Amino acid sequence: MPTKINSLLLKIICLSLLNTPVQAAEVTIHKNDASGLLTWTSKDNGFSIELIQLNPDFIRAVYGKRDFSVDEVERIAGYCVFGSIIQNTSQQQLSYRVADWRFVDKNRKAYPVKTKAQWLAEWRKAGITFAWTLLPESGNFGIGDWQQGFTTIQINRNEIFDFIYTWTLDGEKNQGTIENMSCAPAAL
Amino acid sequence: MFSAQAAEREQPKLGYQLTALPEPLSAPDFTLEVMDAKKISLKDYRGKVIMLNFWATWCPPCRREMPSMERLHQKFKGKEFLVLAVNQMEDGDQIFAFSGDLGIDLTFPILFDKDSSVSRTYEVQGLPTTYIIDKKGIVRFRAIGGREFDHPEVEKQILQLMQE
Repeated sequence: MPTKINSLLLKIICLSLLNTPVQAAEVTIHKNDASGLLTWTSKDNGFSIELIQLNPDFIRAVYGKRDFSVDEVERIAGYCVFGSIIQNTSQQQLSYRVADWRFVDKNRKAYPVKTKAQWLAEWRKAGITFAWTLLPESGNFGIGDWQQGFTTIQINRNEIFDFIYTWTLDGEKNQGTIENMSCAPAAL
Repeated sequence: MFSAQAAEREQPKLGYQLTALPEPLSAPDFTLEVMDAKKISLKDYRGKVIMLNFWATWCPPCRREMPSMERLHQKFKGKEFLVLAVNQMEDGDQIFAFSGDLGIDLTFPILFDKDSSVSRTYEVQGLPTTYIIDKKGIVRFRAIGGREFDHPEVEKQILQLMQE
């Protein structure tokens, strides 16, 4: 059932965090009847982001059949991983940088979201050549452009957190927040 | 990629807009193997409008846009237009299985970028990404994410490039 989330408190935190105009985004939450997994969708001012819970077994299946060691697969599966779809819904140029995105834990402490570039640097050191599946760390979107890939957050699997993301539309930086997110359970 | 876990969720509708590059760039040449183990180079097709598509079989929007690329390829067959689909880090067996699942024959060349070096040269950040290269070898348009490539607007843009 769609849920509208709008918290003044978090907006204040966001403002101090990134010094960026906060958008009153409409967030909807969808529960997959079969798996119980949740999807959060936020659409606002030319930008749409969808974050889909992915369970560790799914992540193991994705990376296990590629040139990843068992230990490396387990390390990735230990992260809180979301399938993410981001979209330019405007008629203007839009850009984003994952390095500007944050998650906020229950103690209101903000942490950066691990970027694709950071993952690839680690993978290269481990001799892994595969370089896809993760959401690109940045993008310049024209009209109709969109992208998808994994977004990874390092947090205890049972902890609730807020997700803060930014995008730039026609030169102006915007910020949105999805509150009370959670990771997929360790097992379905 | 994560479509199985999000099966109930709709993927974004495929659009048709292409982004004109503000500063058109010369398309870097490359040589890659194709399905029958022959090698082809981009420069072999100078004089044709090229749709250069970077993709992989596990990428849901790549799968969704592929039929429209085949329809476009068929529509402009024998004309100064060619689709080149540059697969990322997969092999012939995976492509063969993919074509079977898709239920259509892909008749345009599929190239194997086994180490993703060509995608890096083209600064491809994510899949699918598609470039339209004009007859002089200049990259003119780009699309990030899936598209309906046989949309009349795309056809019109390609026809214009063919007439230049």
